[in-house]
Amino acid sequence: MGALITKLKKSDFAEKITLMVAMVILVIVFTYMNPNYATSANMTNILVACSLAGFVAIGETMLIIANQNDLSAGSVAACAGVVAALLTQLGVPALVSIAIAVLLGCVVGAVNASLVTFLKLQPFIATLATMSVVRGFAYILCGGKAVAVSDKTFRMVGSYKVFGIISLPIVLLLIAFVVLGLVLAKTHFGRSIYVLGGNGYAARLAGLNPTSITFKLHILQSGLAAFAGVLLAARMNSGQPSACVGLEFDAITAAVLGGTAFTGGIGTIFGTFLGMLLLQGFNTGLNMIGVQIFWQEVAQGTLLVIALAFDYYRKRMRDKKLLAESMETRGIKIPKLSK
Amino acid sequence: MGNSVEFRNISKIFPGVKALDDISFKAESGQVYAFLGENGAGKSTLLKILNGDYQPDGGQYLINDMPIRFQTPKEALAHGVSVIYQERQILLDMTVAENVFLGDWPKGKFGEIDFEAMNQKTKEIATNFGLDIEPDMKVGMLSIAHQQMVEIMKAVVRDSKIIAFDEPTASLSDKEIDILFEIIERLKQEGKVIFYVSHRMNEIAQIAQKVIVFKDGTLVDVVDQATTSEDELIRLMVGRSLGDIFNGLPHNETFEEVLLEVDEMLTPYVNKVSFKIHKGEILGFAGLVGSGRTETMNALFGLNPMYSGKIILEGEEIRPKSPAEALEYGFAMVPEDRKMQGILPNISVRGNITISMLKKLINKIGFIKNGEEEIAQEMIQQLNIKTPNSDKLILQLSGGNQQKVILARWLKTNPKVLVLDEPTKGIDVGAKSEFYRIITECAQKGMAVIVISSELPEIIGISDRILVMREGRISGELLRKDFSEEQILKYAMASPDSEAV
Repeated sequence: MGALITKLKKSDFAEKITLMVAMVILVIVFTYMNPNYATSANMTNILVACSLAGFVAIGETMLIIANQNDLSAGSVAACAGVVAALLTQLGVPALVSIAIAVLLGCVVGAVNASLVTFLKLQPFIATLATMSVVRGFAYILCGGKAVAVSDKTFRMVGSYKVFGIISLPIVLLLIAFVVLGLVLAKTHFGRSIYVLGGNGYAARLAGLNPTSITFKLHILQSGLAAFAGVLLAARMNSGQPSACVGLEFDAITAAVLGGTAFTGGIGTIFGTFLGMLLLQGFNTGLNMIGVQIFWQEVAQGTLLVIALAFDYYRKRMRDKKLLAESMETRGIKIPKLSK
Repeated sequence: MGNSVEFRNISKIFPGVKALDDISFKAESGQVYAFLGENGAGKSTLLKILNGDYQPDGGQYLINDMPIRFQTPKEALAHGVSVIYQERQILLDMTVAENVFLGDWPKGKFGEIDFEAMNQKTKEIATNFGLDIEPDMKVGMLSIAHQQMVEIMKAVVRDSKIIAFDEPTASLSDKEIDILFEIIERLKQEGKVIFYVSHRMNEIAQIAQKVIVFKDGTLVDVVDQATTSEDELIRLMVGRSLGDIFNGLPHNETFEEVLLEVDEMLTPYVNKVSFKIHKGEILGFAGLVGSGRTETMNALFGLNPMYSGKIILEGEEIRPKSPAEALEYGFAMVPEDRKMQGILPNISVRGNITISMLKKLINKIGFIKNGEEEIAQEMIQQLNIKTPNSDKLILQLSGGNQQKVILARWLKTNPKVLVLDEPTKGIDVGAKSEFYRIITECAQKGMAVIVISSELPEIIGISDRILVMREGRISGELLRKDFSEEQILKYAMASPDSEAV
C-alpha cells in the first residue's frame, strides 16, 4: 500500500486527485439538479458515450505527447462506419468488413503521416485537409444516405453484453485503455513518443527514427478512429456519413483535461481516461438537466478553454517546482528580492 | 552627459545553474566597459537583465541612480537601454528606415506612417556616421556589417543612453571593424555608457577603458585596461592555468591499427575532406566556427548528405544515412548544442542515459526489462554525475553534469568512434578537467576519439594529433610535438599568400 502511494505520488498524484474531485463535484451537482443522474443505468450510458471518443482520445493523447495532432479522426470514424455497413450489405462477413474498414482507416493515418513527415506540413493543417477529403468520401460512397445494417453479427458487436451486463464496446474500450496505457508507459515505443515530443532533434541524434514513430502513431490513431466508427455503426444499426462531427474535438479536450501538455512530451493514458469520464459526465449531465443543444456547444468550447488554461497553470507550477527542486538539489538558496 | 548604470548584488537563477551570483559594479559615461569571461560565465545573462529580457532574482539595478525594474525589453528601450546582439534583430524584407524606426514609426496627421520624415531622419543619422546607406533600401541587400550599423542606428534614433554590444565583430572584416570602432568612439564621446562583450583580446585593448571579468556567474574584478596585461586578464578569467590540468593526462605513444578512414568526402558543406584515425587515438579538429568541422561529423553521422567520397570503418566501406544507422556502425556523437541537440528535457536522468541503448533492453513484445536503473547507477558512479537519484529530470542538473549524462548515453552504446563537439562549452573548470580525464580514458580503452574544439589550450592539451579546417577543407595537420597556437591559427585563418591557386 505504501509503495502504491509513493508510486501514485510520482505520477502526478495531485493532478489526478484534482480530476477525481472535479468528477465527484460534477456528479453531486447534476444529481441535485436531476436525481436520475447518479443511477447505474446513467453511469453505463456515460461509459457507452465514452466508447466512441475514448478510442480516439487514446490515439490523440499519444500524438499530442509526440508533438503531433489529428483533426481527421471524426471523418475517418464516419467513413469507416459507412464502409463497414456497405460491405455487410454486399454480403461480406461482418468481421472481414470491420477489418477492411479499420485497414482503410490505417491508410488515412499513413497519408497523414506522409504529409507531416515528407511534405513537412503542420499536423493541424495536414489533418484539416484529410478531414475534409475523407468526409467527402464518406458521403460519396453512400450517396449521402445512411446505410442500414442488417447483418446480425455486425449488430451484435455493438450490442453484445459481456457476462450479460456490460456492453462489448465498453469492454473493448477498457482493454484499449489498459493495453495502450502499458505500451505508452512501459515499452521502447512509448518511451520514444515522450522523447520525440520533448526534443525531436535530440531524439534523432540519439538514434531514434522520428519518421517511423510518426507513421506508427498516425496509423494507430486513424485505425482506432475507424474502429470507433465501426462500433458506432454497429450500435446504431447504420453507417452514417454525417456521424462523428467534432469527435476529435472531444478527444483533444479529454486529453488536455487529463494532463497532456499541448507543448508535447508530457501526458498519460490514465489521465486521458479520467479526462474522458469528466467530459462525458459533463455532456450527459447537460443533456439530462435539459440544456438546449446550442448551449451545450458553447459549454463544451468553454470547457476546452478551461482545460487549456489549466494546462498553462500546470506548466507554470511544474517550472516552479523544477526550479525549487533544482536549487535544493544543488544546495542553493534563492535570494530574496529587494525592491 | 553624466549617465550611469549600477548593479547591486544582482543574482539570476536558472534550473540547474546560478547564472549570476551577487554582481555589483557601477559604470559611467565616457568609458567603454568590456565584459570578459568564458562561455557561460554570465556575460549574456547580465546583458539580458540590462535590457529587461530577464528579471533579476535578487539585487538592484539602477540607471542614473534611480532604481529600475524592467519587465520587458520594450520598457528598457523606452528608458534608453539598447543591446545590439550578434544575431541581428532586424527584418530583412523591410527598408533601412523601417528597421531603424521599428515599432516606433513616425506618424502623420491621420495615424498613417510618415515615410518622408522617417527616411529623412534615417539619412541624417547615416550621414552623421559617415555611412553610405540609402534609407529606402531593403536591409537584406546590405552587407552584414551595414546590417549591424542599422542596429546601431536603431539605438541612436531612440536616443539610447546605454548601449551594449554583444560580440559585434564576430562576422565583420577588419575594415568594417574600424568603422564600428569609430562609431563606438563617437557614441562614447556623446556621453553614452558603452558595454562591449568580446572574446577578442586585441579588440578589448583597442576599444575598452575598463575590463569587467566574469567567471562562473561571479564578478572577479573590474580592472583598467591600460594597466593590466593580457596574461593577467586570462588568469582572472580562467582562475588557474590550464597547463596544470593537461599535464599528467595519459597518452598513447604509438598507433598501429587504422580504425576509420574518410576519403575525399564531399558534402554541401565540406570539400573533399580526407583523414584517418587510429584505435586509441585522440584526433583534434581545430578551426574557426563555420570552417566545416561540425559539418564533417554530421556527414559521418548521417545527418548531412554525402555527394561523393568514402567512409571506411575497419576496412569496410559504409554509408550511414541516419544517426540511427551510424549508431549501429558504432559511431557516437556528443553534439555541440547541449540544450537543442542533446537534452531530452521531460525525461529523467535515467531515461536520458539509456535512450540510445534501450533497444538492447527490451523483451520480445517491446516492453522494457528490468535493469535500466542498474545501468543508470553504473554510469552515475563511473562518470561521477552529481544527482540525488536517477529519477531527477536532467534539467535539474548543472551544465557539466548534464553534459556527463549525454556522454554516458553514448558510452553505453560501446562506440568504436566517439565524436565530441565542443565537449566542455559552458561548463566550469573543475568539470572540464574531469572531462579531459574521461576522454583520455576512452582512448586508452581503444576508442578512436574525435574532439572538435575552438579553445586552443584545450585542443592542444588533449589531442594526439590535430587537423585544422578552413572553409570546408583540411588546411593543416599537426603532430603532438609540433603543436602551437600560432601554427593552428595560421592554418585556421585565411592568409593572402596561401590563396595563390
